[in-house]
Amino acid sequence: MTALDEDRLAGAVGPRLGTRSGPRHLTGRGRYLGDHPVPDLCHVAIARSSTAHARIISIDTDEAAALPGVVAVVTGSDLEAMGARRFDHLLGPPFRPLTWPVLAIDRVRFVGEPFAAVVATSRAVAEDALEAITAEMEELPPVVGVDAALAPGAPLLYPEWGTNVFLSTENATPGLDQAMAGAPRRLTERFESHRVCGLPIEGHGAQATWDPGAGRLTVLASSQQPHQLRSVIAEICGLDETHVRVISPDIGGGFGNKQHFTREECLIGLLARLTNRPVRWSQDRTEALTASVHARAQIHDVEAGYDTNGRVLALKVRVLSDLGNPVLYFSGAGPAFVTVANLTGGYTIDHIGWSLTCVATTTCPIGAYRGFGQPEAHFTTERVMDLIASDLGLDPTEVRRINLLPDSPRPWRGHGGQRIDVGPLGSQLDLLLERFDYESWRREQAAARDEGRYIGVGVSTLVQGTTPTQNDTAGRFGSLEMAAVTVLPDGRVDVRVGTKSQGQSHDTTFAQVAAGALGIPPELVEVRDGDTDALAYGQGTWGSRSAVMGGGAIIKAAAAVRAKLARVASGLGHVLPSEGSVDLDVYHRVAEVAWWHAHLLPAGVEPGLTASAVYTPGFTGPSPAGGANHDETYGSHATAVAVEVDPATGTVRMLSAVLVSDCGVVINPTIVEGQHQGGFAQGLGIAFLEECKYNDDGQPLSATLLDYTIPTALDVATVQVVHRPTPSQTAGGFRGVGEASIIAAPAVLVSAVEDALRPLGVKLNSTRLHAASIRAAVRATGWKPDAAFWALRLRVPGEL
Amino acid sequence: MTTMSSVVEMVVNARPVRAEVQPRTTLLDFLRDELGLTGTHAGCEQGACGACNVLLDGRVVRACLVLTVAASGSEVTTVEHLGTPDLLHPVQEALWRHHGLQCGYCTPGIVMTAVDLLSRISAPSDAQVREALSGNLCRCTGYAGMVAAIVEAGRTRDEQAGVE
Repeated sequence: MTALDEDRLAGAVGPRLGTRSGPRHLTGRGRYLGDHPVPDLCHVAIARSSTAHARIISIDTDEAAALPGVVAVVTGSDLEAMGARRFDHLLGPPFRPLTWPVLAIDRVRFVGEPFAAVVATSRAVAEDALEAITAEMEELPPVVGVDAALAPGAPLLYPEWGTNVFLSTENATPGLDQAMAGAPRRLTERFESHRVCGLPIEGHGAQATWDPGAGRLTVLASSQQPHQLRSVIAEICGLDETHVRVISPDIGGGFGNKQHFTREECLIGLLARLTNRPVRWSQDRTEALTASVHARAQIHDVEAGYDTNGRVLALKVRVLSDLGNPVLYFSGAGPAFVTVANLTGGYTIDHIGWSLTCVATTTCPIGAYRGFGQPEAHFTTERVMDLIASDLGLDPTEVRRINLLPDSPRPWRGHGGQRIDVGPLGSQLDLLLERFDYESWRREQAAARDEGRYIGVGVSTLVQGTTPTQNDTAGRFGSLEMAAVTVLPDGRVDVRVGTKSQGQSHDTTFAQVAAGALGIPPELVEVRDGDTDALAYGQGTWGSRSAVMGGGAIIKAAAAVRAKLARVASGLGHVLPSEGSVDLDVYHRVAEVAWWHAHLLPAGVEPGLTASAVYTPGFTGPSPAGGANHDETYGSHATAVAVEVDPATGTVRMLSAVLVSDCGVVINPTIVEGQHQGGFAQGLGIAFLEECKYNDDGQPLSATLLDYTIPTALDVATVQVVHRPTPSQTAGGFRGVGEASIIAAPAVLVSAVEDALRPLGVKLNSTRLHAASIRAAVRATGWKPDAAFWALRLRVPGEL
Repeated sequence: MTTMSSVVEMVVNARPVRAEVQPRTTLLDFLRDELGLTGTHAGCEQGACGACNVLLDGRVVRACLVLTVAASGSEVTTVEHLGTPDLLHPVQEALWRHHGLQCGYCTPGIVMTAVDLLSRISAPSDAQVREALSGNLCRCTGYAGMVAAIVEAGRTRDEQAGVE
């Protein structure tokens, strides 16, 4: 690293402050959804379909309603009779029209779909009452998987569509077919990103109280986006937004699973109003696994044309996206659109074409999970790079290097209009190979092969869109952020922001951002989020957006406050500089005067030290060439791993993992490293352990944490993070970071495992690296474990 | 379904407790709903995740798998008894310093497991810590910080014991 780089790093990496919320959580003083004492609280249990697809003939709730302790039992029709409105996905053609009731009325379309709810004085009684509800259902044939949905004569979820295809669209650069036809070499493959679930350890939930005098509904929800949830609850419950307050308390993880605006959150609001009692629903683990939000579930049919140097000339991808039952705002089509927009990643692929077919199936709705469509895209592009390297006998890092975006121009305009503003990618790859010690791992690999051991190396060069901004109908889901900054009379700073921390430690990082903008120590700053009554509007935390958007709004508001501080100071005969640290004695004097001694203020300066701001970086929207950029800024992350694979058992041992991170200005390196380590663990879980499975009848086979296993401390290796920040042009110079490592992990792990098993000729075309999947792939090559070796190993455990 | 209640007596966080509970009430629900000790969290209620770990007569258990009536006569320790935000227990302090938590939901269970481990093994190795933590699921951190923290907490305590 040059001296210049060192200087830039020093300014771009902030201090490692401990998290504000740590002590509270470590001592059990957090306040999650279920931790708020409420007098006379009632509990809600939800009756859910046990069949994948059925017509509802009748629902008999009389017996349940008569049980002691039951306050109310409702069906979807009951809710509509009291004025509940239907959800509408709001999207016009090419999307099919779709509305859905809070509770299913005519038909259920997945195991777990809600059709009735009980309010009772205890959760146990509410669950007892579920058993007393009798629903008569006429079973209809299930539709499981994309192929079944597209098969001729397939049963239809929505007969009015005449098909199971919810959306079909395509795009291509001019000359794609000629470029493909003219390419010296071509490959054709099918890749699959399998179905998983974000699965925060605290399940989703909501709690509501109705104030009949004020006509106001207060909903506590474990929601990543309280203000946007307010809009949805107001619409569905028939209230205006000023009469709904949404509070997101401490959240036990979100990961996109708590990003959607769910039927249950609206149901709880309606039930509070109906019963005039406070009510709470805490999702149980089986509901979380079968009836919340699943993710990924895409199949890509890929054709790539390339030259003999490994340069990709044309890429054509047919994306088949399983939506489950798409009764969810933006459903799985949202991530699928992100997938097709990111198929070129950080590479200069001259011609790109894609088609997108999103189908409804009788399974749990597909939607958001950390990464939101980008992991599926990255998996395909990285697989293509590896296969090209394999075909041409080139080093996979060289194939990447020849395809990476050159260092200029910046921003680089992608085919779809992406405004890619990342730092230099070639030198980022160099730094990765150096820190990972790539050459030495290749030597290690060769030596291991001589001993009959299987070591593999995988590399991923990720360019990730962060901080999405939506246009048109989708604009309500993300286009700006709001913050309010107030310096109080005692000099303490009250910061309110519309993002919502779920473990990302915004109370710490945003205090650092505000303190930096005001020139004061972070200890003086207190950050609040997650309450629509505390800040008029906001758009929550998702899509690697909070630092850029929330941080940007805080910087903008703090700048206004700082200007006022300086004006007041100057009236008092002091100077407060516009940059850098301020004199704290002067600062405190100004704070007092601004609020308490208006007569001392300079002429024309109003009392008070407060400002609110709405911020958007302004880099999205139509590109000069007519495309559309949906991400305000981009991050780049280069990752390398080394693994050892046992082909007999299919188990994988992580030997090394290094990630070179460019998320722009680093507010707090400890927290960035925590995001990378945690995201990598989730990506590793997807690859090695997790899958939401269904049988042919549409019955979920992974309904508990004993069937859906997530990584433990025994499964996760430590990722070494190397910071290499390139400031962005957004306020503060930040780029998003939270999703980077989960996007990279499945791609880089599959790459490494396939590399390890290269002597056996194993091919891996899905994100599944479960031991059984690896064993199957190994057996498919005809390789068999040495029986004598295994007989010995089994007879004398522990002696080998 | 039954509503017949039984009387239970136990010591929770060094205070005697006497209450009537239904036979089906789990220790988890009892601690949270009857005693207001909401630091013990419901993660899966299936015994898989460890968010509800507490000490029962000094050994770590899943509160969701223990019926309250079965804990009668026992001594229960929850996370609330181990430290305060201003005066953290050494395990809590180490976890904080090593960024061993993010959302904090699994954290009380992690703390209880670590305290239990350190009561049995004075200075556990990285592998021993990982083995002990394998019954606690964390979705946020990827475990690196918490493993480092517990190893350090054990080593520090060991060193201090040596000095005394």
